[in-house]
Amino acid sequence: MPEIAIRHVVSASSSDTTHCAENLLKADTYRKWKAAQPGEKQVSAILQFEKEEQIHSIDIGNEGSAFVEVLVGSSASSSEQNYEVLLVTSSFLSPSESKSGTNLNRVRMFGPDKLVKATAEKKWDRVKIVCTQPYNKSLAYGLSFVRFHSPPENNEIHSKTSSPVSIPITPDEASTSASLKPGALFFSRASKPLASPPKASQNNQPSPSYAAASLQTGMSSSPDLAPSAAEKPTPKAPPKEPTPVKRKFEFSKENTSLPSAPKKADPDTPRPPHPPPKKHKASPAAPPKTPPSKKSPQAQPPEGSSEGPFQHLLQGTVFVLSGFQNPFRSELRDKALEMGAKYRPDWSPDSTHLITNVPSSNHKPKTPSSPPAARPVQKKAASGEEEEEEEPSTSRNSSIHNNSRAPGDDSAASSDDGEPSGVRDNGEEGSGDTDDELRRVEEEHRKKQQGGRGAAPEPEDDPYGGTTDENTDVEEKGEPDQPIPELPDLFVGKHFFLYGEFPSQERRLLNRYIAAFNGEVEDYMNERVNYVITAQEWDDTFEEALNENANLSFVRPRWIYNCNERQKLIPHQPYVVVPRV
Amino acid sequence: MSKRKAPQENPNEGITDFLTELANYERNVNRAIHKYNAYRKAASVISKYPSKIKSGAEAKKLDGVGAKIAEKIDEFLSTGKLRKLEKIRQDDTSSSINFLTRVSGIGPAAARKFVDEGIKTLEDLKKNEHKLNHHQRIGLKYFEDFEKRIPREEMLEMQEIVLNEVKKVDSRYIATVCGSFRRGAESSGDMDILLTHPDYTSESSKQPKLLHQVVAQLENINFITDTLSKGDTKFMGVGRLPNKDEEADSPFRRIDIRLIPKDQYYCGVLYFTGSDIFNKNMRTHALEMGFTLNEYTIRPLGVTGVAGEPLPVDSEKDIFDYIQWKYREPKDRSE
Repeated sequence: MPEIAIRHVVSASSSDTTHCAENLLKADTYRKWKAAQPGEKQVSAILQFEKEEQIHSIDIGNEGSAFVEVLVGSSASSSEQNYEVLLVTSSFLSPSESKSGTNLNRVRMFGPDKLVKATAEKKWDRVKIVCTQPYNKSLAYGLSFVRFHSPPENNEIHSKTSSPVSIPITPDEASTSASLKPGALFFSRASKPLASPPKASQNNQPSPSYAAASLQTGMSSSPDLAPSAAEKPTPKAPPKEPTPVKRKFEFSKENTSLPSAPKKADPDTPRPPHPPPKKHKASPAAPPKTPPSKKSPQAQPPEGSSEGPFQHLLQGTVFVLSGFQNPFRSELRDKALEMGAKYRPDWSPDSTHLITNVPSSNHKPKTPSSPPAARPVQKKAASGEEEEEEEPSTSRNSSIHNNSRAPGDDSAASSDDGEPSGVRDNGEEGSGDTDDELRRVEEEHRKKQQGGRGAAPEPEDDPYGGTTDENTDVEEKGEPDQPIPELPDLFVGKHFFLYGEFPSQERRLLNRYIAAFNGEVEDYMNERVNYVITAQEWDDTFEEALNENANLSFVRPRWIYNCNERQKLIPHQPYVVVPRV
Repeated sequence: MSKRKAPQENPNEGITDFLTELANYERNVNRAIHKYNAYRKAASVISKYPSKIKSGAEAKKLDGVGAKIAEKIDEFLSTGKLRKLEKIRQDDTSSSINFLTRVSGIGPAAARKFVDEGIKTLEDLKKNEHKLNHHQRIGLKYFEDFEKRIPREEMLEMQEIVLNEVKKVDSRYIATVCGSFRRGAESSGDMDILLTHPDYTSESSKQPKLLHQVVAQLENINFITDTLSKGDTKFMGVGRLPNKDEEADSPFRRIDIRLIPKDQYYCGVLYFTGSDIFNKNMRTHALEMGFTLNEYTIRPLGVTGVAGEPLPVDSEKDIFDYIQWKYREPKDRSE
């Protein structure tokens, strides 16, 4: 039963800055996806597969959700309605467990017999996971992992029979299927990296293709996706964040409101021990572009695993890294540490070696005191410890901010100018001179201030929102890639009334679409209403309403969705509800 | 559940009585179950009204009393009777149908059929016994006894016998006497026993033996005297207390035993404890909370309205917990 590769997270209704939805893509189960706030009624995430797949079984590791439902859809039809239930709402926690916070990490494996048969027989490329936790209002809940398996190969048929325990699962997980003991997940971490390489390499594949895609489409809209995106270590081009390229404008993405920032976290981060080989080939001079990760040391092989003189090769060496970026950076560091060297995150009096890929000979170690002085205030939120680890992050982060603060037109332009130069510096000269850097940072800071002024403030970019002990693999970037698209006033002067039953999510979505396109939603039927949006069949009340107001149109919600998809007002006639004969 | 609801005592008894009569008429004669429910709901809410109702308008403020029922209340209060009811009572057909449905085994459909054939009274039925099925014959045979309500003391005695015998067969059985008795009613129309065994779940195969050996045991001690029907999971029959010395024979009582898979047992107990109005309200609340509840399972509803997997339930309280309702003792479940 091969595991189905997930390319990226399309959207998440809510996700914590640290425990972002992207964590679901990662092999390590200690990385979770959690709601941004405790007590949310429902959280959902939409994942994109590499390609269409038939889903044979699902493994779900819980993180405090009471119920989990899995729906499937296809990205060809981007409508919210076209999701079909694959795994019906399944219970992971009883109300009392939810309240007492016990067994929060239960793992359940759903074999083919547990999935909705008609749906499981078809191929899908999108899944939507819906978690609810109505019983504990103080719990930010989500999932710790989710895995999908395609039907077994012929030679694996035996595993298909009854046991839902699938092959690729690590032994410790299989044994804890009923309920995890405290710390069990933690325990499994040690063995995880062993299990992860295949997945890791799978997950890496999309990045080049993404880059290619962005080369074709993203030039105008996203300045950071400059032609060099693939080669240059642009910290801002998260390889698996295709949304700006693929979609014009998407509500569900915007829905995520406040902490959408973490969604942008570079999904490459979690696998520092396995740097993608492809990237090395593409850019031998510049290391892979992943931002530094605080977690990387955790995932590295346990120290002292290799015995003997090898361990002492570099004994007495105290080294500092410059110009390298994760995961290559952490790989280097790990190797040196294995050989007995000591690592300093920053230049210090006892440092003996500076390892750098910067050709320039005038590179000089900066004094430990300088970087804090150079830091703009906003950076606090962005990167926590990572700053101390890596010099280039200073300029990089600030340029990120520059961009994220620039929703308006002119500010976008300014970031257009500022960004590539900063990036180039990082890529080719490494950290560069401290003074240069200081200057650059200041300059960018100033630009940002100008650019940010007058533009709509972005709530998610709260400078004080972060804490310094956050996991720093989460780059706070807000929605940097594009200026917020202009919303066409499609429905200006039009009044809508939503009639009949809608699932609450759909109702909300409809309301939002209508409001977004400048239409008016009426709470009650009245004479101003032009359009009645309904999912129901024709009934007598329609007739009565028509008698009162002959200009009424009864229209399917599809119309609204299609207007959004095309971003223009399309004729509603094909969508009207007509009386049954 | 019994056909004969316990009479209620309240300051508005006259109103609730005629509403109940209208309810039965709608159910038995017109087969209009929703009108039946509407009248029942109105009767229930009025029976809880603490003071004597003086006008239809006053009653109309109550939830469940609409314009039409308020009109009828006004008519009843001013004239002391109801033309509609008088008409129904005078109508030979409807009163006969109403009467025949009092026989166990004769429902509205069968009653209408008999009335159409000219069978309208007990005597007619006795003359036409060949037209009755087994159940109806026994219903006819014990007609008078089945009409009597069962005092709570007798129910308690019967309960003790049944639970004892069940334990004798296998101590792992779980049995509950449900219905209005469990809600603390002073009298009951029949006895409704729910039975389960840990070996029997909805996943396992049917185990009729689990039911039949209990029935056999109760027959052995002459508690169960007749069988109306016996399937794999449901027994319907007749039983009575052993005669005490020098006293008159104990009346025969209707007894139902249902064998329910363990995982569905508490949903069943909840359902068969009722009241039916309480059940309806509880299901409504469950739906509001995103669950669907029936006599077998409680299941969460997904975002598209698809019901999820049955939730594990190990007590009635679990069900209340799922829908975040405060647990209500059976005696507090009149609605």
